[in-house]
Amino acid sequence: MPLLVKRLGGYILCGLTLSLMCQNALAFKIRRGLGPEPDSIHIHQAQGLAAINLLRDLREGLVTFDEKGEPVPGQAASWQVLDGGRRYQFTLRPDARWSNGDPVTAGDYVRAWRRAFTPETAAATAGLLKDVLNANEVLQGSAAVESLGIRAIEPGILEISLVEPAPWILEILAHPVSFPLHSESIDNPLLAPVNGPYVLSDWTPRASIRLDRNPQFHAAQSVLADSVEYFPIEEPSAELSRYRAGELDITETIPAGRFGWLQENLSADLRVHPYLGTFWLGLNLKQPVLGHSRELRQALALAIDREILSKKVLGAGELPGWSVVPPGMQGYDPAKMLQSELSQEEREEMAVRIFGQAGFGRHEPLLLELRYNTSGVHRRVAVAVAAMWKQVLGVNTQLVNEEWKVFVNNRRMGVVTEVFRGGWIADFADPASFLDLFVSGNNLNSTFYGNSDFDMLMKSAQISSGGTRMEILARAEARLMEDVPVIPLYYYVSRHLVRPEITGYVDNIRDVHLSRYLRLITEKP
Amino acid sequence: MIQEGILRHAATRLLGLIPTLLLLITIAFFMIRVAPGGPFDSEKVLPPEIRANLDAKYHLDEPLLQQYFRYLGQIMSGDFGPSFQYKDWTVNELIARGFPVSATVGGLAMLLAFVLGTLIGITAALKQNTATDYSVMGVAMLGISIPNFVIAPLLILGTAVYAGWLPAGGWDWSWQRMVLPVITLALPVIAYIARLTRGSMIEVLHSNYIRTARAKGLPERMVIRRHAFKPAILPVISYMGPATAALITGSVVIERIYSIPGLGSYFVQGALNRDYTLVMGVVIFYGIVIIVLNFIVDLIYAWLNPRIRYDEAS
Repeated sequence: MPLLVKRLGGYILCGLTLSLMCQNALAFKIRRGLGPEPDSIHIHQAQGLAAINLLRDLREGLVTFDEKGEPVPGQAASWQVLDGGRRYQFTLRPDARWSNGDPVTAGDYVRAWRRAFTPETAAATAGLLKDVLNANEVLQGSAAVESLGIRAIEPGILEISLVEPAPWILEILAHPVSFPLHSESIDNPLLAPVNGPYVLSDWTPRASIRLDRNPQFHAAQSVLADSVEYFPIEEPSAELSRYRAGELDITETIPAGRFGWLQENLSADLRVHPYLGTFWLGLNLKQPVLGHSRELRQALALAIDREILSKKVLGAGELPGWSVVPPGMQGYDPAKMLQSELSQEEREEMAVRIFGQAGFGRHEPLLLELRYNTSGVHRRVAVAVAAMWKQVLGVNTQLVNEEWKVFVNNRRMGVVTEVFRGGWIADFADPASFLDLFVSGNNLNSTFYGNSDFDMLMKSAQISSGGTRMEILARAEARLMEDVPVIPLYYYVSRHLVRPEITGYVDNIRDVHLSRYLRLITEKP
Repeated sequence: MIQEGILRHAATRLLGLIPTLLLLITIAFFMIRVAPGGPFDSEKVLPPEIRANLDAKYHLDEPLLQQYFRYLGQIMSGDFGPSFQYKDWTVNELIARGFPVSATVGGLAMLLAFVLGTLIGITAALKQNTATDYSVMGVAMLGISIPNFVIAPLLILGTAVYAGWLPAGGWDWSWQRMVLPVITLALPVIAYIARLTRGSMIEVLHSNYIRTARAKGLPERMVIRRHAFKPAILPVISYMGPATAALITGSVVIERIYSIPGLGSYFVQGALNRDYTLVMGVVIFYGIVIIVLNFIVDLIYAWLNPRIRYDEAS
């Protein structure tokens, strides 16, 4: 304990004096698992979670995340919302600097955004900025890239214009695709100046990525870990071995099927927290059987015992799901399927009844196909669901598993699919990021759901704000859950192992944990 | 005379390499393209405009035949193109970084397997049908039958997690991180080589010229070393060509379990991700390695076996 007090005292002293000596005395290094090798560390090419997490340690946008994973001002000191949410004016921090000492200017953002939207760049994540004025026209090539809704009013003032109000834009501004680029850095992401808490000092592909503290970062004095070493480890069990051997401080995930063991043996290190994702079974409504009968879809949804599914079949902290939007979004209460209030027995009775009303029964068993991509977890879920349908409704389910790329291709085409594994992990914490999937004509709408009431609600949500908007979105979701184009099964959770002596690692729904907040409270044994 | 023969043989073999590689490239190119799905298919379907831009950037919007000839032209100049999956790297860079790692681990494993395997095999052959023979070959059988994805986690658990002697994985070119992968990779090969050596050694020991050598009164050690070893090792040598090629181009299982940045994962990851250029790159590279190693094996074979000489053809 005295040691702990001394160290805490040290931090306070450091915070006060910012002395170099003090920082050296407390020098420590954090070793983190990263999951797969990042697909790119260029802000316009990065797509995977690994790359995005890494980029958030290296660079910073107008907005960033605090310790709790909530969006807070980053490179912007403040902003004004104008024209009813169609225009944002950002005042940049005067102390925002690139790692080579140059100031970060509004022009650096304009240049970066224009580059992201240039066809030759082919930035895969540029779609996140689709609400920006002329974004779609520029992507299609029908408008010049200069017409994009971003403008440098002064070197320190940036203006962004939107087509329609999009309150989630602030969170998008914390995504790498919206980050600024230094004027000289465009083609070499490895040597490029960065504007985040850390600089890249070494990268051995698929082995390790080393970051050192960036002294030019505006909050450098509050960044406590001198260096961060990321290890790309694709195999979760290999990551666990290395954690147990003391070679890692924070893991990216835990291996499937080890939850019970970890709860028993590493309970102080285990962190499980709700995450912005929902797993569901999609129903291809273009198939006559599924498309014509809402009762059939409801019966299928009700016959599944989600308690058994989440506790027995999955058993790693997943929560039973009854809505498309997962819980935990600020100001929003997900509109669950109404029958979620009933007991499972009542639900099954109801399922049998409406299944009969829809014209199906045991005498003439329905044959369905359930398609999923090859994975242990998906297989277990599919087998369990098929068994429940068989038991309750007498439905015969044919299980089809496909390799990943074949599966996503088939799902997108929607020709051979009937019931398929689906789900969504949001890019930003807003119900719209889930509900937009079901708007008619959205190319992500693999159920081919189309309902004018729902579309209208989504439209009117777009032009409202605050609590009213959330209410309308909830009504839209309720509508969706009546129609059951998808059968929600469970909500995702994030799973990590974190050494108990590390603080500043706060579980949050976005599962973002910037290294700049990590602290060490005791000496390691 | 002999050297000239070998040179001519080498030249013929090298010329033969060209049609073989061309066939390999053609089959691989069209096979991966026939597979459903593409490099840009993912959970989050891309907006059509972005998809079109990406296709154009990588020339995927061109007719397949045109892409094929474009690719052929490109690899003529030794350029395998950019990777679809690892966007910051070209396939050449990925191979240049992955191959030394795989070659080191695989080469060491092969060396270990050759030395231990032949020693075990010869010992077993000399003590044929004794307790030593049975126990050594029994262990070797185990080595072949237990898959490395079972052995590797056990090794990690024992030496890294519990004992703390060695790191549990990762790569930094230190010998500590090579020990476990090399052993894991070598185990089945040791067993296989031991069995091959034992079999052919027993056969050689029963041949007439060994009986003659013994009749001349040569000491047993001399008989083994001078007369029996070389012919007994021949089947091992011909096995080693393709086996070395497989070992030094990496093993996906070993690389995943020990998190080693070798070449092996690229075969699997490349194919699963429809990373067309990466798959083609590693397949062509693997093809070249096999052809070269088979050629080396032929040379060693000729040197070991007096009945094969390449000047005979002339």
